[in-house]
Parts: sequence; C-alpha cells; structure tokens
Amino acid sequence: MSRQRPAGLQKALNVLGPFIGLVLVIALFSLIPEVQGRFLRFANFKSVATQSVIVALGALGMTFIIITGGIDLSAASNIALSSVIAAYAVNAGLPPLAALVLGVLTGGLVGLANGALVTRLRLIPFIVTLGMMGIARGAAKWIAGNQKIDAPMTWVNELMAKSPRPSWLLLAPGIWVVILFAVVLAVVLKYTVFGRHVFAIGSNESTARLCGIRTNRVKVLVYVLSGLFCGLSGVMEFSRLTVGDPTVAVGLELDIIAAVVIGGGSLSGGEGSILGTMIGVLIMSFLRNGCTMMGWPNYIQEIIIGAIIVIAVALDRLRHR
Amino acid sequence: MTIAPAEPPVLRMAGVSKSFGATRALDDVSFELGRGEVHALIGENGAGKSTMMKILSGAIAPDAGRMEIDGRPYAPAGPGDGLRGGISMIYQELTLAPHLTVEENIVLGREVHAAGWLDREATRRKAREALELVRHPEISPAIPVGRLSVGAKQIVEIARALLNRSRILVMDEPTSSLTQEDSLRLFEIIRGLKGQDVSVIYISHFLEEVQKVADSYTVLRDGRSVGSGKMEGTRLEDIIQLMVGQKFTQLFPRVEHAVGEAVLSLDRLKGTKMTAPVSLTLSKGEILGIAGLVGSGRSEMLRTLFGLDEAEGGSVVISGAELAGRTPWTRISRGLGLLSEDRQGEGLALSLSVADNMTLSDLAPYRRHGLLRPGRQRRAVSDLIGKLKIKTKGPAQTVGDLSGGNQQKVALARLLHQKASILLLDEPTRGIDVVSKAQIYEWIGELAREGKAVLFVSSYLPELLGICDRIAVFHRGALVESRPIPEWDAPSLMAAATVGRAARDNTMGQRIAE
Amino acid sequence: MKSLAPKVLSGCLCLSLALAACAKKSSDAPGPGEGKILQIAVIPKGTTHEFWKSIHAGAVRAARELGVEVIWKGPQKEDDRAQQITVVEDFISRGVDGIVLAPLDDRALMRPVQDAVREKIPVVIIDSALQGSDFASYVATDNYKGGVLAARRLGELLGGKGRIFLIRYQEGSASTVQREAGFYDTVKNEFPGLVLLVQDQYAGATTETAYQLAENLISRFPDVEGVFAPNESSTFGTLRALQESRLAGKVVFVGFDSSPKLVQGLRDGHIQGLVLQSPFKMGYLGVKTIVAHLRGEPVEKIIDTGVALATADNMDDPAIRPLLSPDLSQIID
Repeated sequence: MSRQRPAGLQKALNVLGPFIGLVLVIALFSLIPEVQGRFLRFANFKSVATQSVIVALGALGMTFIIITGGIDLSAASNIALSSVIAAYAVNAGLPPLAALVLGVLTGGLVGLANGALVTRLRLIPFIVTLGMMGIARGAAKWIAGNQKIDAPMTWVNELMAKSPRPSWLLLAPGIWVVILFAVVLAVVLKYTVFGRHVFAIGSNESTARLCGIRTNRVKVLVYVLSGLFCGLSGVMEFSRLTVGDPTVAVGLELDIIAAVVIGGGSLSGGEGSILGTMIGVLIMSFLRNGCTMMGWPNYIQEIIIGAIIVIAVALDRLRHR
Repeated sequence: MTIAPAEPPVLRMAGVSKSFGATRALDDVSFELGRGEVHALIGENGAGKSTMMKILSGAIAPDAGRMEIDGRPYAPAGPGDGLRGGISMIYQELTLAPHLTVEENIVLGREVHAAGWLDREATRRKAREALELVRHPEISPAIPVGRLSVGAKQIVEIARALLNRSRILVMDEPTSSLTQEDSLRLFEIIRGLKGQDVSVIYISHFLEEVQKVADSYTVLRDGRSVGSGKMEGTRLEDIIQLMVGQKFTQLFPRVEHAVGEAVLSLDRLKGTKMTAPVSLTLSKGEILGIAGLVGSGRSEMLRTLFGLDEAEGGSVVISGAELAGRTPWTRISRGLGLLSEDRQGEGLALSLSVADNMTLSDLAPYRRHGLLRPGRQRRAVSDLIGKLKIKTKGPAQTVGDLSGGNQQKVALARLLHQKASILLLDEPTRGIDVVSKAQIYEWIGELAREGKAVLFVSSYLPELLGICDRIAVFHRGALVESRPIPEWDAPSLMAAATVGRAARDNTMGQRIAE
Repeated sequence: MKSLAPKVLSGCLCLSLALAACAKKSSDAPGPGEGKILQIAVIPKGTTHEFWKSIHAGAVRAARELGVEVIWKGPQKEDDRAQQITVVEDFISRGVDGIVLAPLDDRALMRPVQDAVREKIPVVIIDSALQGSDFASYVATDNYKGGVLAARRLGELLGGKGRIFLIRYQEGSASTVQREAGFYDTVKNEFPGLVLLVQDQYAGATTETAYQLAENLISRFPDVEGVFAPNESSTFGTLRALQESRLAGKVVFVGFDSSPKLVQGLRDGHIQGLVLQSPFKMGYLGVKTIVAHLRGEPVEKIIDTGVALATADNMDDPAIRPLLSPDLSQIID
C-alpha cells in the first residue's frame, strides 16, 4: 500500500489540521494593527467563547449524528422551539430550573421523533429532519403566538452573561457547560462501547448489523442525544436573548454542520471528533469576531467562511488519499 | 496459435518497473500479447498484477520500461489514453451504475445524442448490437442493471467494453462472483472475442478455468515475472509451484476431526426473502458444505438464520433450546457467527482499524466502568493476528489498506474472537489468493477439530469436495439433496445444482461440469 | 503524503487573499485613522434595503462634517437578533468610542447595550425603540404618526368606506408595530366605514414572503378596495402582487418608505401614497448626537426625525424629492 505514515502521526495530523487553521485565524487578526491590541485581550476571547456556546452545543450532538452517517437539518429549528418553550415556561410562572429542564426535554423529544422516524420508517435522515425542520419551526411560532415571548429575568438569563455573577467563574456558566460536555462526549466517543458502535455504524452499517450491534437503538440514542443538546442550546439562546424568539437561529443548522465538517467530520460517516468540531466552531466564531471588529462588510465574511469550508474538506480528502 | 511471425504483438511491455516508497511492486517485467490471444496473468495477491494493469490502463506511470501497441510506442498520461488506445478494463468489483438501465450503462460516457438530446432509438440499437456481439441478445436493454444477476452484469460490462472498440480486454477475476454455469458462458464469449481479433488479458485465481480458457500464461511473483509459456501441455502443479515458490504444499489440507452430536437444527425455516422452507441439521465438529448456483437461496437461508433477514415461519434449535428473538445480537449470544459473502460492503468496516473490526461484535471483555481499555484490546488482537498470519502493520492499521486475503482473515478472526461455536461461512474464499485460501481451509478443519460446527457456502466445487464432511445442494430456493462427501463428485453436484436432482449417469451434469 | 505543507500553504493563501480584499475595503473608510479620531460603530438591522443605505449615507455625511470615523456593520443575516447581539459585543471588544444602534428587538438588545455602557461606550438608539434607559438618546421617526398619515390618505381616497387590508410586517419589530397601531387606531376612530378584511397577517422579513402573502390575500378577497403596508419590503411585495393580479391602480394602495421601484409605482399611479421617513436624517442625527454626547454637550433624550406623505402630485417637490430618492453618493461603495 502506498501509505507510509505511522498511524499515530496520521491521528495527530487529523486533529492538528483544524488546529493549525484556528491558530492561523487568530494569528492573522493579531497581526492587523487596527485591532491587534484589542483582539488578543482576554475580554475578547471571553466574548467569542460566549458567542460560540449556542453553535457548540448544537455541534456536539451533530458530531455524533454525522459520524453515524446521518444528518440533522432540524437542529436550528429545534433550538428555536426549545428556547420558546423555556421562555413560555418562565412566563407561565414555573421555577427557572423547571423551565430549563423543560426546554432541554423538548429538544430531546424532537430528537426522539427524528430517530424513531429514521429507524422505524427507514426514511433517510435528510428527509426526516428536513420535515422536522419545518415542523419544529412552525410549532415554535405557534406556541409563541407568532411573536417573541418576553419573559421576566431569572437566573437562567445569567447563564450567558458575559460577566458571570460569582466572578470567580471567570467565564459565563454556559461556556463551562460546553467544556464539561465536550470532555464527557469526547470520552464517550473514544472510550465507550457506545462510541465505538457509533463509528462502526457510520463506517459500514451492514457490518455493524452483522456484528450484532443493535443499530436502530444506537441511532435513536444518537438522535435523542443530539436533540437534548439542541434543547440545551435553545435554553442558552433564550438566556442570551432574554426573550423566546421563534424566528431565531434560522439557517444556524448549516453553521453547526459546517463546524463539524471543518473539524474533520465526514458527511458519509465514520469520521469526526469532538475536539475537531470544537475547533471548527471556534474558527468560525473568531472569523466573525475579527471581521466585525475590522468593520469589514458581511459579504467578505461570508465569502471567507464559505471558502474555509470548501478548503477544509478538500484538504481532508487530500489527506485521505 | 495463428500469429504470423512478421506481425508485431498487439501489446509489448518491456522492462517495466514501479516502486511505491520502499516497496518494489514491479521489477523489470516484460510481457507480450498476441492478436486474438487469451493470456492469463497469474500470481498471488500482491504479486504485482494490479499494478501492472494500472500501468497498462494509464492510471499510474511506470518508473522505468516502455510499452508498445501494434509496434508503436504507447505512453499513456491517464486512463483516458488507455481507453483511446483500445484498452478496456473489467474489474472484479463491477463498475456499472445500478440505477441506470442496461443500454444506458452500455453507452455510458458515449451517449448517442443530437445537440444534447439523447437519441433513444439509436442508443437501443447500439446496445442490442453490443449484446449480440457477446451473444446474449436475451438481456433486455431497458431494465435497470441493479435487477440483473451478477453474471448478467458481467456480460453487460463486456458488451460495454466491446462497444468501445477495445482491442485489448483486461478481465480481473471475472468469474469470482459467477456461478459455474455463468462462467462457462463467459468462456464461450471469450472464445468468440478471439474470432474478432480482440486480445484478452485474463487474471484469475481459479487455475482450472485459466487452463480452460487461456492460450498462454505469465506468472508474477513478488513483482517479477517468474515464468511464461503456452498453456497447452503445462501442468497445474507447475504453475502453482511458480506462483508460490517453495512455500506451498497442499491445495486442500485436511485436518482430522470427529463429528459429534447435533448442535443446530432448522425445522422448516422460512424467511421473507426465502422462496421455500429449509430443514437441515448440523453437528459438532462437522463441516457441512452448501452448494448451488448463485441466487439459489443459500445466502438467504444463512441471513434468515442469522437474523439479518426477517423470518416468517419454522423454528431453529441450538443445543436443544429453541432460538428466540429476531436480531443478529441474539444469534451471536447463542454462539452463531456469520461471515458475509460481501466482504467490502458488509463484512468489514473498511475505514476502521484491524483491532476495531476484529472486536466489534464483542467489546465486553475490554470494558471497565463503562470505558474501553484499548491496551487490552490491542493485546488480544495481536494474538489473533499472529495466529492467523495476517499481514498487517499492526492492530491500528486501517482494514481497507489490507489485501483481499488478509481482509478476509480479519473477518474470520472476528468470528474466532467472539468465540462463535457455529460458523456460517458465506463464500469465505472468494477472490483471494491460493495461499490464503489454503490457510483458511486449514483453520476450518482445525475449528472442526475443536468441536465447532461449520456451514460452508461455496460456488467453487473443488473446495467443497476437498474439505467438507457432507454437502447439501440448493436449487431454486430449496434444499434438494444432502449426502456425505464420498457419495458426491463434481458432475453429480453440478447436476443437482442445475436441475434439482442428483445425476448418477446424467449426461447433462457431465456436460455442464466439463 | 506531505499533507502538512499544502494545508498550511493554502491556508495562508486563503487568508492573505481575504486580507488583501478587506484591506482595500477598509482603506475606503473616511479619515486616515490616526491620532484621536473618534470611532463610531453604526449598527443597522440589515444592510441590503434601500432604507439602511440612506441611513448609511446620512451617517457618513455627519462623520465628514464632524471629522470622525464611522464603521458600518449589520448582522450577517438580515434581521437576526442573536447575530446583532454578537456584532454589538464585538464592537465593545474592539473598544469603539460610541455606538449608534438600530435594535432588532426592544428587549434582547438591552443587555449588550448595558454591557457597552458599563465599558464606558455610550449608545444612541435609532429607528426602533429599546426598553430601559441606558442609551444616551433615541433618534427616530414618529412611527405612530406615520401610520396615522397613511390611514387618513387611504380613508380620504376611499371616501370613508370600503374593504381594506392591513398587512403587518413582522412580530416584535417595534417601529412597524407602531405604524400599524397608528393606522389601526385612526381607521377605527376616524373612518368607521372602512372594513378591515385582514389585520393580523404578517408579511415576513423579505419581499418574497410579502409577495406570497399579498397574492394569497388577493386571491381570497378579490374585492379588496384598499391596502396598507408598513415598510419597504412589504410595500414592494404587495405592489408586485397587485401588479400581477392586474389590480394595481384599481385598488387604493398606501405604503411606507421608498425605493426606485416604489417611486416608479407612485409615478405610474399604482401607489396612491408613500409615507416617508427621513432615514438619511436619522443616520445623520444619530452620529451627530453621539458625537455631541461624547464631546460633553447636552443632547435631547428623544429626537423626532419627522414623517411626510408623498403622492403622485407632490413627488417632485423639492421638500419631498430627496426623501423619495436619497442621494447615496456619500457612501463610497
């Protein structure tokens, strides 16, 4: 075979690739005199991290789905629905914790519906979640009465505050939540039987079935997991906006998918990593942040991010040849 | 042979070498192909056959050496040049688009059109013409290729090559997925091609058929051409000796084993994809061969038994207890293990490592507190790699990078790893080299000696006759005959598979097996 | 394969390309960017509508007069609340001297504005209201009054009776909600003979969604006699639908805001009235006010930029003409 690189180095490169991209982006903006001093500040990193929380939470679950070879186009609608439900619950006088749990569970429920439809009806995930994208968005608008829901301020809104209340937290609680779950999911993916089965299904579903893996069960679990994270992301969106907005996050599912892909995930399944995905999220956030600070027009930003997605995937193919 | 002495060979390769990194894939290989000649290219997997054919097709460039077609220098810059030079490749893995029809596949890339509008009439005419050329006018040009049998697909592929006015046809393991009957039809087509001055380079592991169809042969070993000559008068044993050098002793090694009490019995098992219910009994330490044509229901029976296809009637008893549940998972927990006939599509997750593939069906031993322990996993796998003599850089290597024979060993190793006591092997030796084959036969024997029960599905009669204790024959979905091995021979097996009953003095069986 | 080299190489290439493209852009910004020139971030709700371009032009004019630098940046997706928050945060990070903001949401933008004030960056709100009182000044059209003007025009042309549509823009958009309220209240109070066939349908953010809504409404109520739409995109979408169904000119149609197509509609008699704000003035006064505040001068808490009604008769008056077709040559794009 024409492959001479040892497997260890190969693995290192897989993670290193996106990481180099991230370093390049940060380095680039650090070199521009106009924003140099401001860009590298802790306060700016803090605000970029806060801005990344919503996409990051969605991308955690999406990574699992993409590794199984599936896709979830309903992620962003699910986020909007969950944020509306959380706002609705707070407004209805429920304790904030109950509202939070309700929001997360809503997300999980949407995920369960996705998973059940994909496995029971044997429909392809693209179609199922495309349908669910409309259903969840519509449900969100319906529940919100076709307008945003103004809810009273509670501690839930502190989750995404740039300056956290107990100041020793340093970062918004939402960021810590992302870090915590990223570590947990990275371990689950690499070191548990469930994680191994997720990879096996994405690599070759027939083989997985042959090996006695209960593929349907794993897939449903993966969609539920992704749904729960969308729900959590929705709660964070509510926390950030301080209102439940059914029109929020339109098109965000593509950002989420892009983050996974930039991080080395393959849409044909069997590849992807949590670390890569998180780096993918950060690359996009830092680009947005830098472009805004520079006052560059939006179209430049869109062109750059579009180009980065294509380049990332092209390089990935190159690496696998 | 009717090659006029003055006429230059259609193809001449001289001193061709190619290295990949430190590996010398081809070392100073020379090769000549005459007009209308069928030339067999023989060698173990990894001997350099595919590298040589890739160079010929233009897919890769040689490091040294030159090529001539009809006496003119030929230095392809890419696969397009190969096609224009009149070289068509027919690969082991079929390259047809299953959703397109036969005619659409035949003209694919050379569609008949006027200003972009497809000319359906002309397309059909062209397709029919091509199917006539390969003497299979009965194949309907309008049906999607996905609905054809493997044999018919192969014919469509050859028809496509002929339509391209190919003068050199490279066939890489064309019969590996064909039944004997389809193979015979293919040989007839090849003989017909000779009449049209088409030359064929024929690559195959089935030496008997090579002997039948080829005019001459060249044997490659470790990237070198170690011998070539006319097929007539050459003994099979000599060719095998050339292929393997000194290491080869016996084609069908037999391991002594004793047959014990029954462990598996199927009672009128019927699945949604099976056309008839099947009953059979398998004993400890027994190797039960399953013969039959491709599509005769053998694989469907195995898949239903293993829970991959849905069962709709009958019962299965394992070691005295009835089998419950519907999923492969319940089967594995009862000691069943299936080796899929589709190694790349189903048997293995090609992008995962050797270790992952071997342990996928049973990760429980490596789990503590819910976390996997990769170290233990690697150690266990290393043992298996050694035991099965798998050529790999280690447990972490991606399975897709291994040769076919070694891939198959990994798939087999999985069954050993999950400690299956009843092995359902579906075409375990398809498309792999002779040495790997012999090793696989040997393990099957050893497994039987350990008291395991083996169901061995194969379309290759010599191996069934060589290693089984008993052979059952499928015909049109039903099990029609089951007899101990001494009562079978190739003609009677063939007759049972093709006409549904064993022939003791049946001339039809004789003719087909010939 | 030597995968690292091409990766790094093409990464650099892509970024330097982007850098080059952007460097060209930023050099166009007014002011040489040296010394203590004030940097003012102006954040609209979107960047593609004619309306926002006028605001941009006004802001640039003010910047020239005052010798300050204006950075113009909207949310990447038009009308996306979350992204507008991000833009505000990024400008706080950059440490601009002042922010002029057209908030997409009267509530959701409160916290980022508080953050800015905490970082000693004053904020002037333009166009749409924001809850709370953290901002230095609110510079906007009296939207309610605009709605009143539209209702009176419609009522007069219909002679005080007829069946009409009130097409709404989008949930949660304060400025249009006020226009709709002004229109609705005036119809109820002054023209009891007008029947609202439709009053709770939302046109949505784009011309396309407005077009579809209007089409559907027209096919359901083909006997409609009057229509009001509360902003540029809904007005244009409705105009297209009226033109397609050959009702343009037969139905009394009063819209809001201006664009070349709408001006043409007015001239052709397809639109009987356009309520005009002065976005140019809004951008101009927004920047003027923030700079005055930064320089320690007292500023009004609320500044009205006025509304006017354009009709086919007065559209060429010198008072109306610049409102209908603002001079955008100020923004160098």
